[in-house]
Amino acid sequence: MHAPPNTRARQRYAQQLKLERWRVWFIVGGLMALFGALIARGFYLQILNEGFLQQQGEARYARTLKLEANRGMITDRNGDPLAISTPVQSIWASPRSIKLLPSGQRRPNGWEPKDEKDPVPMSVDEVAKLAKLLDMPAKAVAVRLGASRKGAEGKTAQPDFVWLRRHMAPQDAKKVLDLNLPGIYAQTEFRRFYPAGDVTAHVIGFTNIDGRGQEGFELTRQEQLSGKPGSRTVIRDRRGFIVEDISTVIPPKDGETLTLSIDRRIQYLAYRELKHAVETNNALGGGIVVLDARTGEVLALANVPSYNPNSRARIDPARRRNRAVTDLYEPGSTMKPITIATALESGKFKPSTVIDTGAGAMGMAGFVIKDTHGYGPLSVEGVLVKSSNVGTARIGLQLDREYLWTYYNAIGFGQPPRTGFPGEASGRLRAWKTWRPVEQATMSYGYGLSVSLMQMARAYQVFATDGEIRPITFTKLVAPPPGKRVFDPAIAREVRLMMEKATQPGGTGTRAQVVGYRVAGKTGTAKKLSAAGDYTEKRYVGSFVGFAPVSDPRLIVAVMIDEPRGESYYGGTVASPAFSAVVAGSLRMLGVPPDAPTDNILLPGPDEPEVREET
Amino acid sequence: MKQLFYQALSRVRPSMSAYDVALTWAVLLLVCFGLVMVYSASIAMAEVDKDTGFRSTYFLIRHGIFLVIGLTAGFVAFNIPTKTWQQYAPLLFIIGVALLVLVLIHGREVNGSRRWLSLYVINLQPSELMKFIVVLYAADYTVRKAAFMGGDFVSSITKGLLPMLVVMLVVGGLLLLEPDFGAFAVITAIAVGLLFLGGFDWRLFAGLIGLLALGFVGLVVSSPYRMQRVLGFLDPWQDPYGKGYQLSHSLIAFGRGEWTGVGLGASVEKLSYLPEAHTDFLMAIIAEELGFVGVALVVCLFAFIVFRAFMIGVQAAKLDRTYQALVAQGIGIWFGVQSVINIGVNMGLLPTKGLTLPLLSFGGSGILANLITIGVLLRVDYENRQALRGFTT
Repeated sequence: MHAPPNTRARQRYAQQLKLERWRVWFIVGGLMALFGALIARGFYLQILNEGFLQQQGEARYARTLKLEANRGMITDRNGDPLAISTPVQSIWASPRSIKLLPSGQRRPNGWEPKDEKDPVPMSVDEVAKLAKLLDMPAKAVAVRLGASRKGAEGKTAQPDFVWLRRHMAPQDAKKVLDLNLPGIYAQTEFRRFYPAGDVTAHVIGFTNIDGRGQEGFELTRQEQLSGKPGSRTVIRDRRGFIVEDISTVIPPKDGETLTLSIDRRIQYLAYRELKHAVETNNALGGGIVVLDARTGEVLALANVPSYNPNSRARIDPARRRNRAVTDLYEPGSTMKPITIATALESGKFKPSTVIDTGAGAMGMAGFVIKDTHGYGPLSVEGVLVKSSNVGTARIGLQLDREYLWTYYNAIGFGQPPRTGFPGEASGRLRAWKTWRPVEQATMSYGYGLSVSLMQMARAYQVFATDGEIRPITFTKLVAPPPGKRVFDPAIAREVRLMMEKATQPGGTGTRAQVVGYRVAGKTGTAKKLSAAGDYTEKRYVGSFVGFAPVSDPRLIVAVMIDEPRGESYYGGTVASPAFSAVVAGSLRMLGVPPDAPTDNILLPGPDEPEVREET
Repeated sequence: MKQLFYQALSRVRPSMSAYDVALTWAVLLLVCFGLVMVYSASIAMAEVDKDTGFRSTYFLIRHGIFLVIGLTAGFVAFNIPTKTWQQYAPLLFIIGVALLVLVLIHGREVNGSRRWLSLYVINLQPSELMKFIVVLYAADYTVRKAAFMGGDFVSSITKGLLPMLVVMLVVGGLLLLEPDFGAFAVITAIAVGLLFLGGFDWRLFAGLIGLLALGFVGLVVSSPYRMQRVLGFLDPWQDPYGKGYQLSHSLIAFGRGEWTGVGLGASVEKLSYLPEAHTDFLMAIIAEELGFVGVALVVCLFAFIVFRAFMIGVQAAKLDRTYQALVAQGIGIWFGVQSVINIGVNMGLLPTKGLTLPLLSFGGSGILANLITIGVLLRVDYENRQALRGFTT
């Protein structure tokens, strides 16, 4: 404005340029619109679409860590541990984040990953060191670290997770982690330990390496024992370090302690005696059940052969069989007290009623029922004490078949005992309408129906408890459940006394007697069905089911010896001694006062033949 | 309320103080904010990098030094009359082109690009300085060719456009050889914008823009490197661990921010997930730590600076100071375009370019060039105010 006129004129001429205002607004408007678009886009990303983006983010750097729950302890009724968990370390690797280098090459110092997918190189030396600490061949470790598997889309990819060595002692695992190798991690797991080993194997069962129950109560009470694993979701930076927790830590809920009704001392005794009986009689196997007569609690359950649940070696399935619960056999003579009690209950018979057993044989529809001796006329009591098949058959035939079935059914035959065990056998008791007379006769003395040893022990409650039956339980009870009455108390007591006589001279179970205690019981020697379905093969099941003390029964013990192949196969010879030993030991452990003088054992005279039965 | 509104408006309009106080504070605010965010974004990365000597303050210290140098240089630039800049514009331009040639011969290669000249103490990035020089040069060019701007068709093409086209082809070619696609885009925008503002026939302009767009597409298609960069941004979730890696992490950072962010220093993406967190992708970290509020604040500050630059230009034009007007508006285009592209890239609106966020991102040459430019912009405004008060400059 104040410039000299000539300068101004020259400038005007030179400039000629009149900046048009609309062009400025055009560009300013455009840029402001772009800024507006940025804010809109920011709003979309941060306020509207943030869910998807955060989820993508979490997929990349969030990791949910499992917090293992401690599996509950299993104890016996006195709190002694039967199964406990101890923390161990398992080493795992992420092959995806490891690249195995050829021998001679080493990872350069200060190596950094290019991106989060970049695998860390690992030299042969490092693999060798790792293998040494893992106590594995270096080759096997290298194979696992280089593992690849087919993904869901059919692409082969390296997995993110392989176990290297599981269940290591914590101090050994620490040595591995101290190597500070990339892609090698440790996870705390729990290893199950069974202090009683093979003694309780069939009751407790075992867990697999992942801590899941596979057999026994480990399996059936899986939910209760396993608890709930907790979790912790964390954000990691790209090098794997945990930066923060992004959700509340859910603490693991430890499993509950399971208190069984088993008494470890009785269990041990029962197992030892059973094993002894099976071994001395060269038998295939055997089972034993000890019940608390007052409550229906199982105090011991053992089978032979057994296995060591602490061993991780493969266990022979045959050894895992819980014979006492899952195996069926024909009860034979152990059935007779039930038939006789039913007969007394019907009112048609009294203990003194005389039955003519004749010369020890009875023909029926082309089938001959035999006794070992011809006993002639016998009282009902005599029939039981001598274990006469003919006598029992005659008694059974005089009862209405429906009546008989009702009692057999009420006592639990043909139905699972519902102890909570997997694979419980229910046995076979045919509907009464299908019974033919010959079958009714054989069933009276224990053929033509099948039971498990557990069912048999359960059935004998009626004699031990004045005619009542209670459900069987493996868990410790606070108070016994009310029993279901099957027989009149007077009749139950009468049969109990007959069964006591069966263990005295003149009876079949003399070897069942116990010093200082009165015992009652019944032997059984049943022929096993051959594969062809007849009884031609000389294979037997010797059993003894009884209880003690007779004056106030505390224990019911059922022993079964499968295919004894020693000198004798009679239940009175092979099973009764085990019964005697277990009862003697158990009653003393339980502190049950003796109900007999210590010189109570009455053995048959040397010239007197031992009474045996053929069923 | 009304009073407040007028007060606010009076800050937007040039007040009668000697310099533009609001603009100065906006710039200082952004620069200080940038320092904090560069520290926050780089701390985790610097801590584990052996190149930084595992020092967490490595980038903070350097960025602070650059700021001191840049502010000093900006102050010096503020004290240089705009006439002087106009006078030396062609010379500066030649120096700039020479540096661009030099960087291709002696440059240090980083990540496949040859952009840095090693000057022992610092690494100089000539393309950053070139943006500033192009503003000065294109404004001068437009003023010089004023006669041909609105003239007849042939002369406006041959005398107005063609020389600029040739010059830009040379500069653009040099930049693409580095390659520095971002700087090329910014410089093209400045040159084209100034020609448009200078009054170049808008119909011809539409044709020119069309031609440029065609060339752009051609460039992208011709190079697999650029093609990949362009394709990666279309759908980063298609290949989130490959081509879309950086962008997908940037978007995740935005998503994590929500309204007010995860808090200063609490970003997860900066923990080695998002590459270039302290330079090109600083905005993503701002978004994650300070949320939509932080993003909106930064965008608004840039919008304000750009708006002010144009208004200073308008004021200069009113005073018949055409060169100064074009310089101010060129600066507005530069800051506007570069910030829009950078933030747009961060938000997945534009393909990854390798452009920093002006005034905020880490980078010595960028900060230096930005602050010198702000000094020049404030100088233009200062001269406007002097002229309004009746002083001649």
